[in-house]
Amino acid sequence: MRKRGPLITLACVVILALIFLWANTLVAKPGSTAAAAKTTAPAAAPAATAAPLHALYAGRSSGDQVTVAIAINGAKAAADLNAGQASEVSLQGSVHGSDITLSGGDGVRLTGSLAGQDMFGIVSGFLGQSFPFSAAQTVVEAVYAGTSSGDQVTLAVATDGDSAAAYVCNGRTVEAWLQGSVNGNQVTLSGRGGASLAGSLSGLAMFGTVTVSAGQSFPFSAELSPRPAGVYQARITVNGLATRIGWAVLPDGTQLGVAVAGTAKSPAPPLDLGNDSFVLGGATFTAAPVAGDDTVVTP
Amino acid sequence: MSHQAVAGPPRDQYARPLAAALASGCAVAIVVGVYAKLHHPAHYALDVAGFSSPLYAKAWLTTFAAVFAVVQLATGYLITRRQAVAAPAWLGAVHRWSGRIAVLLTVPVVVHCVYALGFGTYSVRVIAHSVFGCIFYAAFVAKMLSLVRRDVMPRWVIPVLGGVAFASLIVVWATSSLWLFTTHGWHF
Repeated sequence: MRKRGPLITLACVVILALIFLWANTLVAKPGSTAAAAKTTAPAAAPAATAAPLHALYAGRSSGDQVTVAIAINGAKAAADLNAGQASEVSLQGSVHGSDITLSGGDGVRLTGSLAGQDMFGIVSGFLGQSFPFSAAQTVVEAVYAGTSSGDQVTLAVATDGDSAAAYVCNGRTVEAWLQGSVNGNQVTLSGRGGASLAGSLSGLAMFGTVTVSAGQSFPFSAELSPRPAGVYQARITVNGLATRIGWAVLPDGTQLGVAVAGTAKSPAPPLDLGNDSFVLGGATFTAAPVAGDDTVVTP
Repeated sequence: MSHQAVAGPPRDQYARPLAAALASGCAVAIVVGVYAKLHHPAHYALDVAGFSSPLYAKAWLTTFAAVFAVVQLATGYLITRRQAVAAPAWLGAVHRWSGRIAVLLTVPVVVHCVYALGFGTYSVRVIAHSVFGCIFYAAFVAKMLSLVRRDVMPRWVIPVLGGVAFASLIVVWATSSLWLFTTHGWHF
């Protein structure tokens, strides 16, 4: 006796699989993705989230090998993939509704879609592999570090949600601490003696103008940078004088700092970025990284 | 004597259908695995409405399939268990339909896995998921084909293949849905 039931079950599964595969090949064709998104949009609308105007997402691949940082600014998006050991790739792309598509050199691609505060997607062509990833919208610290266009000053801006703190200096005589806020993609900070910074976030960068004192303004660009980039500060007493030292550190470890003792300004001692320590007058001190919501300008 | 005749035929009768079923199962596993490995990930696949993301849609479909798989195990055990009274007919119906639903639930998931992601080898979890995903469909196909000639199959064939299918589906579920739920939270 032969039974047909199992064969019918098997056939149904195979047919359903082929239908799904066929449907997927239809929607996955470039150019028809918009139409596919349209057909699924009404049903998926409650779950889909329109991308915010400016947001950062940080996360990792499901296998934990790759860290993913994505910045969204309006219709533009930028991302940084890092697998350690100098395996780092920058991607540029765009935002369509709740979907982002980015690409970079060597055929690396990232696609993702937003669901609430989370982004899910796939990185492909990175290290010869494809990685699903998830990332969460982050309001934790970000650091933008860079220089003025004429290299007159170096600056680092730390942001924490909508708070921002920055340090700008030329390493010798000019320096300013700045405090302010991030509103959408606009960054506004101010300090003592007419110092100020007005910038806008675009992709993974901040562009704007920094004023270190009345009449001394420089256009600048700063990139979203991982540690060791950042604003570092130390408040110590040297020879009975209260001394405040600030450093602006770029992602490659380049640093410029100024020590202010009373009214005297001098180049800051080199900061050991391994343990945030520095040596001054034979003694070892420790500097602290400054977060965006730290108070650096006392009213 | 008839002794020879009795011992001979049963073995010959089931050996060929069983070998064919197992070979078909292996072929399915290889085809699925090789296609998943060779196909360039599409990064895009049909979305299942009603979930917060495609990942969660897959995770829940697999979870539902795993629940039906547990029903399969329970009803399969009751049917197979040696008992004086034959298992009631409804038990067979529950077993068949829970199995059909379980496998059909996995179809959109496996298509997404194979088409959009591919055969991943970048961590132990992903390797296990990929390998046991292939084994699950191998066991399913082998079981279905064995059932066609159930009359000549030894008693152990169906429970063993069912057990392999169940175990591999649970591994697949644990390495995907359970992982997602525990690392990203239990929600739809």
